[in-house]
Amino acid sequence: MCCRLRLKTFPPAARHGGIKRPAPGTGIKVHFKDSKGNHVKTIEGNEGDDLLSLAHEHDIDLEGACERSVACSTCHVIISPEHYDLLPEPEDDENDMLDMAFGLSDTSRLGCQVYLTKELDGMTATLPAATRNMFVDGHKPTHH
Amino acid sequence: MDKVAILGGGPSAFYVASRLLSRVPADRNRNLAVHMFDRLWSPHGLVRYGVAPDHPEVKNCTHKFDELAKDARFRYFGNVQVGPASGRPIPHVVRLPFDEIPRSYTHLVLAPGCPIPTTHPALPLSSRVIPALDLVHWYTQHPTHPHAPPLDGARHVTIIGQGNVALDVARMLLTSPDVLATYDVPLSVLEGLRTSAVEHVSIVGRRGPLQAAFTTKEARELMTISDASMALLDPVLLVPSADTKLSRQQTRVLDLLRKGSTTKSGTTKKTWSLDFFRAPTGIQESESRLRLSLAHTTLDAGLRAVATGATSALETDLVVTALGQQLDPSTPFYDDATRRIPVNASGNVLHPSGRPFKNVYASGWAAMGARGVLASTMINAYNVADNLAASLLGSDSLSPNFEEIMEKDVDPAPPALVREELEKGNVMSYEDWKIIDAEEVRKGAEMGKERERMGWEGAKAFLAASKTRA
Repeated sequence: MCCRLRLKTFPPAARHGGIKRPAPGTGIKVHFKDSKGNHVKTIEGNEGDDLLSLAHEHDIDLEGACERSVACSTCHVIISPEHYDLLPEPEDDENDMLDMAFGLSDTSRLGCQVYLTKELDGMTATLPAATRNMFVDGHKPTHH
Repeated sequence: MDKVAILGGGPSAFYVASRLLSRVPADRNRNLAVHMFDRLWSPHGLVRYGVAPDHPEVKNCTHKFDELAKDARFRYFGNVQVGPASGRPIPHVVRLPFDEIPRSYTHLVLAPGCPIPTTHPALPLSSRVIPALDLVHWYTQHPTHPHAPPLDGARHVTIIGQGNVALDVARMLLTSPDVLATYDVPLSVLEGLRTSAVEHVSIVGRRGPLQAAFTTKEARELMTISDASMALLDPVLLVPSADTKLSRQQTRVLDLLRKGSTTKSGTTKKTWSLDFFRAPTGIQESESRLRLSLAHTTLDAGLRAVATGATSALETDLVVTALGQQLDPSTPFYDDATRRIPVNASGNVLHPSGRPFKNVYASGWAAMGARGVLASTMINAYNVADNLAASLLGSDSLSPNFEEIMEKDVDPAPPALVREELEKGNVMSYEDWKIIDAEEVRKGAEMGKERERMGWEGAKAFLAASKTRA
């Protein structure tokens, strides 16, 4: 239930669809990269916007199956290390979801839980590798 | 035209449809139709009939499916069983022979999921030895309508298996019905839970905490139930050997188990335990209780459970086997050796010769095995849909050495039988489902809960009445 409460405590502007684009050149810049490290798009957001809502606003291929309720790992992104260190520590529920994320790295976060602040200007968010053979690669024989 | 049949209506099927329709522009010259067939009358498979009621957030993915269903190229046909099915039958289902599909469609995606519970050879099913899936189907009112579990006489419940389904079932049995009452739990189920005698749930696994299949989230939820506590674990179990390299998840699970439940052992009437390194070897049923024989186990070098020779017995009242699920063996293209639909990396179904079938794909658990979370199902479905879209757009690279069964020239309508049954109200469209969905939510709101579910007969009658009114 903590997830629901957390949703309510954040500004409604950050809810999906409620994003207001800043005037060009005035916002906080975020660079999105694909899993191969290729630049996808640089976007600008406002303080308090979350990365998942920004990605949707700018048509970047980031899913949000549970709609920001921290119940899935589909909005997993990898943050540039120098910016990752500026973020508040993830809560238990976010860490629980990251446990199940594919292509997890030391600077992984759920996009829906990364809220922009001015000091994050210039941050990079890389979409994780989702290889087509993930089931095969990840498969370990089980003996239940 | 390109006409795609998708067999199955769960998350994999919907993610395939959604990705396919977004990859193929609606204004391209050739027409595209995507027809989804589900043996269940209502869509979304395990999201409706698997996800635990106290996980409503997970069900948010259906909003995306609702958006997809607005695409005029998409149609849903619920309550249609394509080809044979084993397992508990659905009496009202409309049966369409499988041969109709290759005859009426240019492309096929099989996404039937894994509806058959895996049983334990030492634990024959009975009224007091039941698969976890029956319990899940009871609290979700699945159209196969299993009997309500005998909870009023079960003070001690033993769950065999330590995956997330095991923990879901444990949580449902241990959480106060007053807490569950606001969720999507049918009134009849709440009634059954209110008269439940359950005081202890043992969750038995043949391996240790580092091998347990449950995820951190599910373990944490069990730890934080307000009026049930975990029996203390032997601390030795929670100290990995010095040469064990722990994954992030293993480290976090161990931390969680060391902390124990938030309500301490001995302070609550209801308790639960994780019984590691125990494997059932037999069961004796007497009039009053069940006696479960357990072999004590340890791990060999390959991390398999092997018997130590020690044994014990557990007196219990109800045994629930949560050992995973399997593909229905009567599914077309079923492979005996792997118990899956064999596919290549692109999701093309393979002929026993090893050659791919042209324009025939499989996605989700039927192809990959019953494992993984929604995110893994989605990634797999997107891969299959991308390959299918590439084939539709003429940019695929399938070698010419393939098996061919699908028709090339078809008309846009669904098979005649489906059309007829749709007219009689025996097949559910997505539009009809949305009417039922709204009614379930409306009824639920009146009772102060998320929704109150309808069964097929109720849904059918409601639709007939609402069409008369209109």
